[in-house]
Amino acid sequence: MAVTIRRLEESDEVEGFDCGDEPLNNYLTRHAWTNQQKVSIGVTYAAVDESAPRTVLGYFTLATSSVPRERFPKKFVRGLPPYDLPLILLARLAVDKRFSGRGLGHALLSEALKITLRVADEVGCRCIVTDAYPDKAGWYARYGFLPLEGTAATSPQKMFLDVRTIRRALSSESSSAERK
Amino acid sequence: MPPAVKSKKAVALPAKVPTARKSKFQADLAPSEDSMVRILKTELQMTSNTDFLTDALALLRWAVSERKRGHHIVSESSTGERKILLFPRLERVAPEVTLPHVDIQWTDKELESLAELASGQPANPTDALIRAMRQ
Repeated sequence: MAVTIRRLEESDEVEGFDCGDEPLNNYLTRHAWTNQQKVSIGVTYAAVDESAPRTVLGYFTLATSSVPRERFPKKFVRGLPPYDLPLILLARLAVDKRFSGRGLGHALLSEALKITLRVADEVGCRCIVTDAYPDKAGWYARYGFLPLEGTAATSPQKMFLDVRTIRRALSSESSSAERK
Repeated sequence: MPPAVKSKKAVALPAKVPTARKSKFQADLAPSEDSMVRILKTELQMTSNTDFLTDALALLRWAVSERKRGHHIVSESSTGERKILLFPRLERVAPEVTLPHVDIQWTDKELESLAELASGQPANPTDALIRAMRQ
């Protein structure tokens, strides 16, 4: 498979997508394009194979958000910049179950983190957060996402990854490449 | 008995197979650009303008496809010094990275936890994260 990840396009085939989770299937088939092009509340990136470049094998959706400074507890405000905290929301990530186990989730997350760094470089953001299903929290933790305390037991687990950690990963990559 | 007048048999001619038409490309180059083309052809050991144009086209096509995917084109020296290619025409095809803004519902405890993590020292990257950034 030669997979490319790019922005979702209107002519992409999404109807047959099945990741095994109805809300995630429904988001791609019913809302992703509208949210991206018409109401602008999330940009979806699709993984496609070059042999069938219109069939979506997996996707993720990103948006930006921010937390007003005054909403943070006072004891932590001193350690934060004197502005609202800008962040990126990894709102959705899913892989069609017919293509699971081939590293597509890794490739999608990798692309999402690279976009996060680009946004951080160009307009600024401090971290990426996601709402992980409880059974997927361990997968995100492998990439360094940390669980936020206080999530209700019935809600997805909010998880956090600092942009500075992603940058360090990139410089670790450069250092190891230089050693080779 | 054979007929007095020979009639010509209609012979079915094979259908003309359309061949891909080759385009001609002509450019008016300033003397300095013409000289640059000659120097490059010599350096690259090329004899024909067609080969030169074909290679230049392949390189430009690759650059456009990389920029379309949002990738930067970087040269790296042996000492690790990096230079990023900034070519105004290529920037026209680069995707916008601006993402829409949404509101997230936070509990007070989540905000406390977020503030604690964001104001602290960043964690070291995990092996999986390093692999993801290497991909």
